[in-house]
Amino acid sequence: MLLESVAYARPDTVAEALQLLAENEDAAPLAGGQSLINVLKHRVASLELLVDISRLEELRGIAAAPDGGLEIGACVTYDELDHSPEVRSAQPMLADVAGHIEDQQIRDAGTIGGNCCLSDPTNNLPPLLVALGATMVIASSGGPREVAASDFFHGYFATAVGEGELLTSVRVPPLAAGASAGYSTVAVGADSKAIARAAALVRANGTIEEARVVLACVSPIPARHAGMEEALRGRAAEPAAVAAAAERIGADLEPLGDAHGSAEYRRAMARVVARRAVCQAIGNGGPQHG
Amino acid sequence: MSTTPADTAVEIGRSIGVSVPRREDRRLLQGQGEFADDVWMHRQGYAHFVRSPHAHARIVSVDTRRALALDGVYAALTGEEVKELCESPFFQIAPEPAAKIAEYPLAVDKVRYHGDAVAVVLAETRELARDAAGLVDVEYELLPVVVDGVAAAEADAPLLHEQVGTNVAWHGVFDWGDVDWALENADHVVEIDHLHFHRFSSTPLECNAAVVHWDPGTDTVQVKSNNQMPMFASMVIGPTLGVASNRLLFASQDIGGAFGNKIGSYPQIAALALLSRKAGRPAKWTEYRTEHMLSCGHGNERTFLDTRVAVMKDGTILGFKTRAFDDAGAYLHYEPLGAVIWSQVSCGCYRLKHLHVDYTETLTNKCPTIPNRGYSRLQHLWLIERIIDIVAHELGFDPVELRKRNYVQPDDYPYETPNGCVYDSGDLPRSLDIALELIDHDKWRARQRELGRGSGKRIGIGIGSTLDSGTNNFGQARIINPELPFSGNGEAAYVKLDLYGEVNVNLGTTPQGQSHETTAAQVVGDVLGMGPEQVHVTAGFNQQQNTYVAFSGTYASQFAVTGLGAAKGAAEKLRAEIIEVAAFALEADAEDIELADGMCSVRGDQERAIPFIGVANLIYANNAALPTELRERISLNCRHVYVPPFEVPDPDKKRGNLTLTYASQIHACVVEIDEDTGHVEILEYAAVDDCGKRINPRIVEGQVHGATALGIGAALYESFEYDGDGQLQQASFYDYHAITALDAPDIKTADIESPSPFTPNGAKGMGEGGGAPLHAICSAIQDALGDQDAIVSDSHNPWERVWWLVHSGERGEPRGVRVSAQAAASAEGES
Ligand SMILES: Cc1cc2nc3c(=O)[nH]c(=O)nc-3n(C[C@H](O)[C@H](O)[C@H](O)COP(=O)(O)OP(=O)(O)OC[C@H]3O[C@@H](n4cnc5c(N)ncnc54)[C@H](O)[C@@H]3O)c2cc1C
Repeated sequence: MLLESVAYARPDTVAEALQLLAENEDAAPLAGGQSLINVLKHRVASLELLVDISRLEELRGIAAAPDGGLEIGACVTYDELDHSPEVRSAQPMLADVAGHIEDQQIRDAGTIGGNCCLSDPTNNLPPLLVALGATMVIASSGGPREVAASDFFHGYFATAVGEGELLTSVRVPPLAAGASAGYSTVAVGADSKAIARAAALVRANGTIEEARVVLACVSPIPARHAGMEEALRGRAAEPAAVAAAAERIGADLEPLGDAHGSAEYRRAMARVVARRAVCQAIGNGGPQHG
Repeated sequence: MSTTPADTAVEIGRSIGVSVPRREDRRLLQGQGEFADDVWMHRQGYAHFVRSPHAHARIVSVDTRRALALDGVYAALTGEEVKELCESPFFQIAPEPAAKIAEYPLAVDKVRYHGDAVAVVLAETRELARDAAGLVDVEYELLPVVVDGVAAAEADAPLLHEQVGTNVAWHGVFDWGDVDWALENADHVVEIDHLHFHRFSSTPLECNAAVVHWDPGTDTVQVKSNNQMPMFASMVIGPTLGVASNRLLFASQDIGGAFGNKIGSYPQIAALALLSRKAGRPAKWTEYRTEHMLSCGHGNERTFLDTRVAVMKDGTILGFKTRAFDDAGAYLHYEPLGAVIWSQVSCGCYRLKHLHVDYTETLTNKCPTIPNRGYSRLQHLWLIERIIDIVAHELGFDPVELRKRNYVQPDDYPYETPNGCVYDSGDLPRSLDIALELIDHDKWRARQRELGRGSGKRIGIGIGSTLDSGTNNFGQARIINPELPFSGNGEAAYVKLDLYGEVNVNLGTTPQGQSHETTAAQVVGDVLGMGPEQVHVTAGFNQQQNTYVAFSGTYASQFAVTGLGAAKGAAEKLRAEIIEVAAFALEADAEDIELADGMCSVRGDQERAIPFIGVANLIYANNAALPTELRERISLNCRHVYVPPFEVPDPDKKRGNLTLTYASQIHACVVEIDEDTGHVEILEYAAVDDCGKRINPRIVEGQVHGATALGIGAALYESFEYDGDGQLQQASFYDYHAITALDAPDIKTADIESPSPFTPNGAKGMGEGGGAPLHAICSAIQDALGDQDAIVSDSHNPWERVWWLVHSGERGEPRGVRVSAQAAASAEGES
């Protein structure tokens, strides 16, 4: 389909971008455009003004602290995450997941900020960032504020970013000693929509000391599963214990069914991907991209 | 992927059978093709259709005023106006009462599916046309919806076409042999409650497109489009528009895939013609992908109920009985021809003698169906392959042995099927052996046994045996409607020697990637003793310059027979003319003239020779030098129509030879199923093709790859589904997961050549492929399932469906199959 006519601005600074967003009611930031442009083309939403932030240098950097903490600009693309030595070494799973989102064209344009701000439950990065304990930095005319990734996602296509605000960066804390991430997806085909997805961060030393298990696609926002996390704590870091803990996932989930998967299947798959993500994190199970 | 390399070393005059490089590739790969959207006409406007968001609704009003008020909007048309402008609705193939369906280029009074066109707008730019279409106000009054092809036949179902009085578009009973006898005398009767073949399509890379110009100066309608069967389109829309066929001028050059789907663009072309006339400008339309998915046409969906199969102890299958419901969607586009086309392969690859199919085609509030690669045969072949595997599974036969026992055997050819079709040649058991070897069958059988339960994985081996029937006898249309004046088939070609002795070929076909320019050059070159590179084949089709018959076009696996038959015939006529002129010039006997490399010479005396340019000169520019008789008779412009040897089928008995050739494709695969998720991974895949004499093996292999990928996509990923309100759930590639290279396995290919005794060159049509991957993958999933699990009853098996199947036994779900009591006892005794 074709775009309706819409005004376009390319500010030179974040401050200018914020001003344009504040001054224009039906304005939205344009990052990679991989979702926003398609939404507009399908005419499910319409806008007066697109504020292109994709080339703002302030949003394009990756800074690594000596302890391995990362500050990633909101407009860093998936391909840049995939090929950044800093990200590869501090958060290999983040680099891997970004490197497997859809196809190369999308990875060249899609941004970490857009991926989060869209808050599509099938997007790849939100559950992982929640599992990694990331912090989202939001700028507004009143100054910056920080929101934990676990509080950032509010619902389908809704986040903590308010009108006239911008997500400027994502801070990812260093991995603790003995901690490792896992990620698993069930999807229709090789590069298509996810039906169920889980990301995990597990600190283990023979025994699981701490585990974060985040489920996606089974509720409007990525959500940690307290029951499974609790069942993992103090257990042996081996597949049977993980499988037993995954059994905690069940009737508490109320996923929606759609053309890609029924609610019942999604619920069952949530259990499978949670188990696989944790097993991968503890070193049992192959790579689970996607 | 295994691919045959191109072969550039060709001995002059012997290029048939050689993989000469495709001559189309250069222009296509360099972006120099001309597709319908590349066509630009002076003063053209851009058309955009307004499509219904509802599946079934009364059109209360259509108001185009807001659209027309925009600057740059040229014209708009609504259904009501179109009805006034048309001489008649589109002609219907169906007999009464479905003959009463009144379909116009735009919906009149009612919309009948999600995507039905209610209006069309023409504007200065594509963007403006889109915006203006959004301003057309349509008021709808919703009506109840029917989306189930079986329920649609019930008396209380909402009616789509009130004047027809029923949603049954066609009903007939096909009864050959004596199935009641077979069921009574069989050792086992296997009963299968429900089998469902799903909706999908080939989603060609290029959507439909057309530029239509109703030219008031010449009073002709020029249609530059990618319609793949222009003569059919012309015959349907000509009378509706009131335009004589010699003024309705179709043309196309390159077409970006069609697969049968592009037979269905004639309603849009008719609407564009009226729009063009109204606006006094050419109307250009390029379909959007979502529009394509909503309204271009889907493949036929078919449900088989209460199938009963008669099986003997030794595994001989006598035949079967079933009730088929084919869901044609909201209008009949090319339908109900599908209701007979399946019977080209009534018994599949097997010696089944007793068949009874109670066939109903229904109308539903869904996108109309349109022929789709494997049209109507793949549904039936899938049924038969399901029968074979389910019988094997239930009665404990080895699926390989059961197939081999029941296959038509190599010395049975020519083999007459129960309904009078004549299978021309083949060697199915050998094809299967080769396929099994390619997938390393024995290794995987052993691995399957070792794996056992508890590993979380299951292995299944599957086989898909198919026939790709080609070169239709259009007389089969009379089995649907005895009033129809159609029979036989044919294709035309025109070969000439041009002014300076160049050879030029024009075809009646509309190729979409089937390499007609390459293979026609091979055939004509061989006849005239030249290399294929010396033969120029005009690209594409143009009604004003090419020759054609009513069957012309590219569809239904027939070019190698009909198109090349015509090219060969025309080239032979030209050869005879060249020889006659040369014999005169060289003062020799015609029998002594040899053609080689553009020269005519006298056998045994190379000095006595005249080049083609000399021959051309005598006819075109120097004819006083020729005897009167010769110069009046010979033109060096030769037309030939290839006509296959058909008779009119018997509509009462529903018998006759319905196609000329039967290429076979035997596929085999190994899959691994993940019990946790239902994920099916293809570990091995092989396709063995037998299409008789191959003109260009590499081109054949390309077709095999394409058909295989399409079938795998359909089996695992691709499906068009409607919700209860008739909303299409997969209206973009976000939701319709067309197979990509990432999903496709390595495909191993092999071939055997069983030349057809019935065709001019021993070749058989091929390319559609009979949906073999659907059969093979269902077969493999079945093979991986246990005794207590449900049978594979759907042709579409995404992860979730497989997951349900794998766990159906644990859940104690109904299996959907029974072996009749007495027979079950004897089966146990056997095993
Ligand atoms: C065919 C296809 C398949 C896809 N499949 C997947 C998939 O499987 N997994 C996946 O994760 N993604 C997928 N995507 C989506 C892709 O990753 C998108 O790029 C992503 O959702 C948004 O990123 P973007 O940079 O393109 O943002 P845009 O499309 O530019 O913006 C998305 C939304 O976020 C807002 N926004 C963007 N940046 C900011 C910011 N810094 N501050 C505030 N608001 C902001 C925009 O206003 C808009 O509302 C797919 C896209 C396509 C085209």
